[in-house]
Amino acid sequence: MKSFSYMAYLVLGLLLVASVSAQELQKEKLQGMIDATLDVIYSESHASLSADEKKLKVREKIESSYDLDVMIRYAIGKNWRRMNEQEQLEVLELVKQLVLKAYVIGLEGKDRPSVTFGELTEIGKARIEIESTMVLDMKTYYILYRLRQMDSGWQIYDIVAENVSMSSNYRGQIDDHFRKGSAADLIARLKDLLAKDEISGDTKI
Amino acid sequence: MKSVEIQKFKRPLAWASLIGLLSVASLTAQDGKLTEDEAFFYEEFDESAGVYDPFESVNRYIFKYNDYVFSNTLQPLVDTYTAITPDIVEEGASNFFHNLRYPVRLASNLLQGRFKGAWIETGRFAINSTFGIVGILTPADDYESFAPIESEDVGQVFGAWGIGEGPYLVLPFLGPSNLRDLAGLFGDRAINPIKEPFSMIDDWEWEWQLATFSADYIARSPQIVERYKQLKGSSIDPYSSLKNGYTQYRRGAVSE
Repeated sequence: MKSFSYMAYLVLGLLLVASVSAQELQKEKLQGMIDATLDVIYSESHASLSADEKKLKVREKIESSYDLDVMIRYAIGKNWRRMNEQEQLEVLELVKQLVLKAYVIGLEGKDRPSVTFGELTEIGKARIEIESTMVLDMKTYYILYRLRQMDSGWQIYDIVAENVSMSSNYRGQIDDHFRKGSAADLIARLKDLLAKDEISGDTKI
Repeated sequence: MKSVEIQKFKRPLAWASLIGLLSVASLTAQDGKLTEDEAFFYEEFDESAGVYDPFESVNRYIFKYNDYVFSNTLQPLVDTYTAITPDIVEEGASNFFHNLRYPVRLASNLLQGRFKGAWIETGRFAINSTFGIVGILTPADDYESFAPIESEDVGQVFGAWGIGEGPYLVLPFLGPSNLRDLAGLFGDRAINPIKEPFSMIDDWEWEWQLATFSADYIARSPQIVERYKQLKGSSIDPYSSLKNGYTQYRRGAVSE
């Protein structure tokens, strides 16, 4: 009986250690992904790529590590049910393109930011938060990456920059949109935004 | 002999459990019950627990007006300013005006009982005003105990005292705010020794006041314009994005 308890404690301890190191691995994985996307934007070997090609490459790098659908689905929330299957797929794709466009154009013309990763904190059941600081143009920004263990593995579901949660921000916008507009209007609006060369378009809503 | 019998019994039991689990999973899906992942996508956010916006139509109108002014006046001005001004001068101007707002930060820290914050702000002001040539340089950054901290203002003080945000507002030229932060803005002006109504400068002619205000505004603008462009750039509804972003940012600043 005693040996059984020892075994149980041992297994429990091993599981705990395995879970902690699995979480720590997430930090390395995230850091690797960020470095890889910054390499696409800044490295000499990618200098000849057009903005569209860079966007595609950045997307490849992100999607080789994480499922972008998770973050976008989380941002859409219950509004997901207001769309039919085809609209859901279209909105997922368009929002993905919009976010990538803002990321690539937002960094263009600036010096490569230096990113340092800090503490990893468990923030709930199967959820972790990884702290980071980014120094861009001599200014320091605090960025938190929130990850959750999904059926498909650990996935990023939110990015919080300077206290502003990206998922919450998109959820607020999409909630506001569906108070008056339809899924078709949303798709039209997203296509309109993507067709613009600059990320700062007019304010027509 | 006994253990063999148990083993014989265990195998069918394991298969039965597995089949049972699979049937439950399939029934759950058929019943339309959500999987854990699916339920996660539908969970509510704490941060977006609503922004009270009863003046939305007026706010949206002012937002469009501000955006027009931003795009057609402030942005070209900032572009020219950043193009012709060396980075070091730009940084120096921004530091100088930040240093001048020290009384607001000091009072705001004290009113929230943040004595450590008040001490750091005072130390930074003393070092930067003297060794940093009236605040143009920031030698205080070199001292670990006087490293820069988040700026406090009267709006945050009101928040820390438990005063609610009130309705969301968009102020002409100044952008997103709320009733509490608007009151805080008056508080900031009252504390600021170079701004009316309690300016410590005698015979403070309006031309000089305007010049100081304009220089301060332009020195601060590159950062404001950059943040505005970033938020607006990736947004589906820029008004809603700014409202949500501003509110989250201020709530975070108050809770810190």
